[in-house]
Amino acid sequence: MNDLARRLVTIAFEERGADHLLLMAERHGNVGPVMVEKGQDPGDARVDVPYQLVNILSNLIPFMGKAKVAIVCRRCDERALAELAKRGIVDDASIVKIGLACTKEQVERCRCSDCVPSRVDIGEPAEPCPDDTLASELSSMGTEERSAFWMRQFRKCNKCFGCTLNCPVCFCDDCVLEERTYTPEQGIPPGPAFHLIRSFHLADKCVECGECERSCPADIPLLTLRKMVNRDMRDLFGYTAGDRERRSPLLTTLDDQPLEDDGHAC
Amino acid sequence: MTEFSPTILAFCCNWCSYAGADLAGVNRLQMPPNVHVIRVMCSASVKPEYVFKAISQGIDGVLVLGCHIGDCHYLTGNHRTAKRIPVAKKILRDAGIDDRRVRLDWVSAAEGEKFQQVITEFVGEVKALGPNPLREVRM
Repeated sequence: MNDLARRLVTIAFEERGADHLLLMAERHGNVGPVMVEKGQDPGDARVDVPYQLVNILSNLIPFMGKAKVAIVCRRCDERALAELAKRGIVDDASIVKIGLACTKEQVERCRCSDCVPSRVDIGEPAEPCPDDTLASELSSMGTEERSAFWMRQFRKCNKCFGCTLNCPVCFCDDCVLEERTYTPEQGIPPGPAFHLIRSFHLADKCVECGECERSCPADIPLLTLRKMVNRDMRDLFGYTAGDRERRSPLLTTLDDQPLEDDGHAC
Repeated sequence: MTEFSPTILAFCCNWCSYAGADLAGVNRLQMPPNVHVIRVMCSASVKPEYVFKAISQGIDGVLVLGCHIGDCHYLTGNHRTAKRIPVAKKILRDAGIDDRRVRLDWVSAAEGEKFQQVITEFVGEVKALGPNPLREVRM
């Protein structure tokens, strides 16, 4: 157990009264997500690994009962949790958020414009990054040039579903992208429709954590695509994902009355 | 070389637009024959997935037609469409596909003439845009 792990354990169990602590830790030379109870040794805590613990947490929640879980939370994790809580997938009351401020390098890697958690427990807040240069470059391109760029990128996709599996806000039980109608059963690449459909599905919930881009083995700039779509959502509805109070505009009528849809399914 | 003749899908809602199309047919209104009409129960059942799939397989234009706002048979179905389709169009734009290839319009059961007008306009517009570039893309 390193100093950081000791600190996290103190915050989680003593200061905030959690039953479990979920963190990234190094054990026997491997870094991975670890969940510990009070008194257990988590190993050496690591916060330099950019990994979305929310994804792990939302898979564990059905088995947790009423237990209170503390989770090491970046700003993006916090917003992802807000999206999940809004749809009733996690319960706000049963989660203790330990705020982690990203370092400058991490902020730059994600081109993150909203990087300081509402409560900082660990780390020093860094300056937000102003803009995604690739996104602005693409927006100023002509249609044909932009199309050529994306088709070149999409052609590299090998349908590994890494972007979907590692996404903290992909929570549908049956993913439409696994249907034959939209993704051919055989053959790669899956075609541009794959990425367009995914963009639409994340339009009202993407928190720009960048996990899709990091997990993509083909290095498709997926985060840039997400950022472009998020900007469109801001332009169209003035909506930013990760807002705990506001319902997704795609789940309301034109006069902002909620539709009969919990937003759980694809 | 023959003139480019676009292939267009029109999703028509069962209660208004499809009846509108029917009326246009009964009245023998002339319109371009490029449109394949697909009847759906409500314009809200046109998932943006269908639009993306169609466009990425080389369809030149997609029309989504529904009842006017407030007239939906399912009360708020077309509200959903009115919010989804603009997002789908923006996404297509971001990916470098001209968003004029997708159009959302409202045609009621009594508007045979409007149906004719929408089809004629849209076919002309897509003709001017030229063939869908994705038709040539071998993924």
